[in-house]
Amino acid sequence: MTDDPATLDDATFKQELTVLIPHLRAFARSLCRDASQADDLAQDAMLKAWNARESFVAGTNMKAWAFTILRNAFYSEKRRSWRRQPLDPEVAEATLVSNSNPADALELLALRNALAMLPVDQKEALILVGAGGMAYEEAAEICGCAVGTIKSRVSRARKAVIEILESNSTGYNSDSGMSAEKAFDDIMMQADEIARAPTS
Amino acid sequence: MNKKKQPGQQKSDADLKRRGAKIGDQLRRIYEDVAKEEVPDEFLKLLEEADKKKSSKPSTSDE
Repeated sequence: MTDDPATLDDATFKQELTVLIPHLRAFARSLCRDASQADDLAQDAMLKAWNARESFVAGTNMKAWAFTILRNAFYSEKRRSWRRQPLDPEVAEATLVSNSNPADALELLALRNALAMLPVDQKEALILVGAGGMAYEEAAEICGCAVGTIKSRVSRARKAVIEILESNSTGYNSDSGMSAEKAFDDIMMQADEIARAPTS
Repeated sequence: MNKKKQPGQQKSDADLKRRGAKIGDQLRRIYEDVAKEEVPDEFLKLLEEADKKKSSKPSTSDE
C-alpha cells in the first residue's frame, strides 16, 4: 500500500508545504486582526495540512487545498468574533511604519479599513482573487461554493470597497461609482490572467 | 496623487482606470508584503517536529 501514485511521499509533501508557508501567512494575515493571531492560525493550518497529507492527491492544487484547511480552521475557531471587526490599532501602526511613503501608507490603511468593514464572505473572496491572485475556480474550491457565488461576492466586495473609500475621501464624486466599478473589472481581469498562469 | 480635479469636468475613463488599478495594486501589496516576509523559524521547527514525531511511530511507509 506504499505505492499509491496519488499520494506524495512525505519529503516531497513537506517541501511543497514549506513553499506554501508564506502564502498561508499572507492569507491568514488578511483574515485575522493582528499578526500574532494570524501566525497562530497559519501554524495551525500548516500542521493540520501535514497531518492530513495522506488525503492530498498528488498533482492537484496544494495551495487551494491548504487554504481550505486554513479557512476551516479560521471559521471553527472564531465562531463569535470574526464578523466585521474594526481594524486593530496595532495593524494600523504596523501598516504605517512599514511604508516609507506616508501618503501611500494612509491609502493602504484606508483600504485595510475598508476590507475590515466587509462581510467576511465578501472579504475572503476579494482577498483570494484580488490580493492573492487566485482564479475564481480556485477561490470557489477553497470557499466550498459555486464559481458564480465567488464572482458575485467579489463583485459586491469591490463595489463596497470603492463606496467606502469614496465616502471617506472628500476628493471623489460618488456619482462615478459605476465607472469606478467598471474600472475595477479590468483589475480583476488582470488578476485572473495572473492566476491562470500555472501554479505548480 | 492628490491632483485636484477641475470642477465641472467629468472624470475621464483613464482617470478611473488609474484609480481602479491602484486599488488592485494595493490589494496585492497587502497580501504580498506578508508573503515576502521571511518565514519565522517557528514554522519550520514545528514542521520538523511533526515530521520526526511521525518517523518515531510505527509506520507502514518504507521510506
